[in-house]
Amino acid sequence: MAVACMDIANSNGVIQAGFHSVSDSQPHINNTTRCAPDAVVCPFCALLCDDLILAPKPDLSFTITRNGCRRASEDFARVPLANTPRVAGREVTLEVAVRAAARRLKRAYQPLFGGLATDVDGMRAALDLAESCGAILDHAHGETLAAMTRLLQTRGWYAATLSELRNRADMVLLVGVDLADRYENLSRRCLWPEHTLDEETLATRRIVYLGATPPGALVRACDSLKCSAAAVVDVLRAVLAVLKQQPLATTRAGGLAPNKIQALADSLRAARYSALVFAPAHLPAPRDPALALLCEIIDELNRSGRAALVPLGGDDGGQTAVSTCAWLTGYPLRIRHGLNIDYQPHSNATAKLLDGGGADTLLWIDAYGRLSDLPAQARVEDSIVLAASSNARSVSAAVFIPVGTPGLDHAARLVRTDAVVSLPLVAQRHSGLPAVATVLRAIAAAL
Amino acid sequence: MSKLVKLGGARIYDPANGIDGEVRDLYLEDGRLVAPPRDGRPADQAFDLEGRVIMAGAIDLHTHIGGGKVNIARMMLPEDHATSLVSGERHPHAGCGHAAPATRTAGYRYAEMGYVACFEPAMLPANARQAHMEMADTPMVDKGAYVLLGNDDFLLRALRDKRASSFIRDYVAWTLNAAQALAIKVVNPGGINAFKFNQRKLDLDEQNSGYGVTPRDILLALANAVRELGLAHPLHIHGCNLGVPGNFETTLNTITALEGLRAHLTHVQFHSYGTEGDRKFSSGAAQIAEAVNRHHNISLDVGQIMFGRTVTESGDSMRQYAGSAFADPKKWVGMDIECDAGCGVVPFRYKNQNFVNALQWAIGLELFLQVDDPWRIFLTTDHPNGAPFTSYPHLIRLLMDKSFRNDMLATINPEAAAASTLAALDREYSLYEIAILTRAAPARSLGLDGFGSLAIGAAAHITVYRDDPDREKMFSTPELVFKNGQLIVREGRVVEEVWGTTHVVHPDYDRAIERELDHYFERYMTVRKDNQGLADDEIRDGGRGALQVHATRPA
Repeated sequence: MAVACMDIANSNGVIQAGFHSVSDSQPHINNTTRCAPDAVVCPFCALLCDDLILAPKPDLSFTITRNGCRRASEDFARVPLANTPRVAGREVTLEVAVRAAARRLKRAYQPLFGGLATDVDGMRAALDLAESCGAILDHAHGETLAAMTRLLQTRGWYAATLSELRNRADMVLLVGVDLADRYENLSRRCLWPEHTLDEETLATRRIVYLGATPPGALVRACDSLKCSAAAVVDVLRAVLAVLKQQPLATTRAGGLAPNKIQALADSLRAARYSALVFAPAHLPAPRDPALALLCEIIDELNRSGRAALVPLGGDDGGQTAVSTCAWLTGYPLRIRHGLNIDYQPHSNATAKLLDGGGADTLLWIDAYGRLSDLPAQARVEDSIVLAASSNARSVSAAVFIPVGTPGLDHAARLVRTDAVVSLPLVAQRHSGLPAVATVLRAIAAAL
Repeated sequence: MSKLVKLGGARIYDPANGIDGEVRDLYLEDGRLVAPPRDGRPADQAFDLEGRVIMAGAIDLHTHIGGGKVNIARMMLPEDHATSLVSGERHPHAGCGHAAPATRTAGYRYAEMGYVACFEPAMLPANARQAHMEMADTPMVDKGAYVLLGNDDFLLRALRDKRASSFIRDYVAWTLNAAQALAIKVVNPGGINAFKFNQRKLDLDEQNSGYGVTPRDILLALANAVRELGLAHPLHIHGCNLGVPGNFETTLNTITALEGLRAHLTHVQFHSYGTEGDRKFSSGAAQIAEAVNRHHNISLDVGQIMFGRTVTESGDSMRQYAGSAFADPKKWVGMDIECDAGCGVVPFRYKNQNFVNALQWAIGLELFLQVDDPWRIFLTTDHPNGAPFTSYPHLIRLLMDKSFRNDMLATINPEAAAASTLAALDREYSLYEIAILTRAAPARSLGLDGFGSLAIGAAAHITVYRDDPDREKMFSTPELVFKNGQLIVREGRVVEEVWGTTHVVHPDYDRAIERELDHYFERYMTVRKDNQGLADDEIRDGGRGALQVHATRPA
């Protein structure tokens, strides 16, 4: 586009990149310009809020001065790792670590690429490397991602994206979402924004919470229907029965009085547009029954009115990993990639593979530094770790390579929770830490 | 020194230059067609192609190859992939997919059929980045996308508020720039948005209850903006009432509603249904073809259906919701998207013994055979909505071979066969006409200079076929395919993986609209304006991609 803007490095050395642009810290993209104010996209959950204002600190961490949340504050406050790769705990150069990783993968009987907390380019590189060494791919949140995939592959759903939730829904049911744990900004950005396209939607909006962890002060004017996490599924079943004018199986589903269930069903039915917001990660396993009921409630409401699901999930690059894997291979992760693609969503699961000896080498990717550790079942001496944070186990892995975080240390593109919107992220500091894609391509070249 | 390649002795079908089967030698150098060397310089490489047929590389101007709904289909349908796995020995990278192929698999298959460029016809502004990332990961072919407008709340508010046509034009131009698109598409104008307000149908002159705007208003506003901006490709219209019996009248009314403005009507087969007969479902193809023959401002692509399994992917959430009752297997996804548009992904099986499906098949062919001007009709199956693009060679045979067509007609639901005029249509397409439909006409319609032509100076995108009387076999497996002068396919197999260029337009506009858009996105949306758009460098994507900006000719 013919807009002339200049690269700006402010007095704190922060790169303000990108009118529509991926930043300059990604070596191959060097035309970096920005005219917009310096709001930043937050990479630390799948909401990808793009209005954070940061104040950089001398130790290369950040304070969020506007529009943050508790979780993002913690994540931005993390100081980047020292750029010191290790082989079996010993400090080495990146080149040596890359060669060691390549040797490990070459020797491996069945490599597993786990974690996969990275960006689109990281996933592209992971898939190419996996193809050349026959690796299985699964994400750190593979269980919840797979639950959504099963739902998609067995019945599908009617969903809405975040801006639709914000502007369209006059009735929002938060199903078990623990906003104190994550997605805190949902309230500010989608539930109670300052404005909606039709101001009447906002004026008449009703928010109801169902579950064990009511948002309290995190969402104003939110009515709570408190029940245990395990009982959410019973309440959903009862709501569906009422909507379908069927008799209730129990008199007090989830401990809630029938009139409360009836009232909830009536509110959903009466709304111009109902949104059922849920987070698979916050639903107790097995998740499938609750997920199916959410879909059925939406289907029932859509017979005569309008309603949609709003799933919140795919954090730590989860949605990015699923989407990228799907377009490049046809499948949403849990494949073995090689000369042929073998999709085994049940058996190609990280815990199963590590428990049962189905994988002998783990390449663990955590570019957000949020996954607490290698999986418990992983053998440290058979693991290659690319991570943005470290602990005693990871630094003593066969190979440990500190990597940058997408949108902090390098430019990136990430897919949002709704699998529709993807955001361009630009580098915010010069840490010198390599991107996951850079490291994986180097390993592939050394194979 | 650059390499000179000679393709000698083949019959050339190059309608862009009026060449109809003449035997000529072609010379390629530096990625372009060049004049025969005058100095007697011998070719560095010569192919003796006597008896072969040469056409320019083919162009698919309407194929769903990238974007959110395509990716939903991939994820939803492991059964689609299980029987269509492609090994890394067969293609440069392993892949899969019959109706919903992986990006790489789609690119390889297109090249293997002699295609060099594919255009995604329904890119949502809110999903543009992902659509481009998917297209970036589609090798072999050049690509581009038409960006969807007409159901976005911004435009509907502007029409409700009777904003000036210059404002609409600036918004359309900004969208083309931000989304890195080549053309403008409208899907069920206003209807996707109306579905969010629980309207279940929206006819051409029916008001969207949210904004009081009609599809006619939207079509005229967008078609005018496209004309004023001087885009080569006219407004690409997926009209109202897709799939509804009786919709041929909507289609006829849409043609007249355009008041002579240029427009492209897409997958018209799905918009050519009458209500005659016991089953209240009949062909309106003759009336549509007659109207198209009279209205020279109109072009169309057919959206032919083929029997078998596929998946329908559409931005038309309103009509896909209605169609979801027929999902096979029983699963589907619908979405309301970002105050921008929507989508519906519904797996489907077209059955040749089903009356409706069989008649749909016949209606598509009736359109092909009754629209007179091959420069205004394009060969599509609306991949994968009517059938996967891999069925094009079969479709070409149906068009070129009347006895084969009649053999097929004899196998479909007999009532449908009896209800169709197909048996009485004797037309057989010639190779020259096929070259128009699949090369010269789409290149002209999209304004792709150097494509669809074998003129000296044109890009050396060339497909060489064996002249097999079985046209399906002939068009399935070209002997040679050159892209930018490079041999990429030999005997129907990819021999060189290449990465294509993305074709876009960057029309100029009054930058004042950006302030209003900034405000709108800040006030209402969950992304900021500048994060929705894509920079040129995102398309170049580290040097593997490339961007070609095509000229516009403002009115």
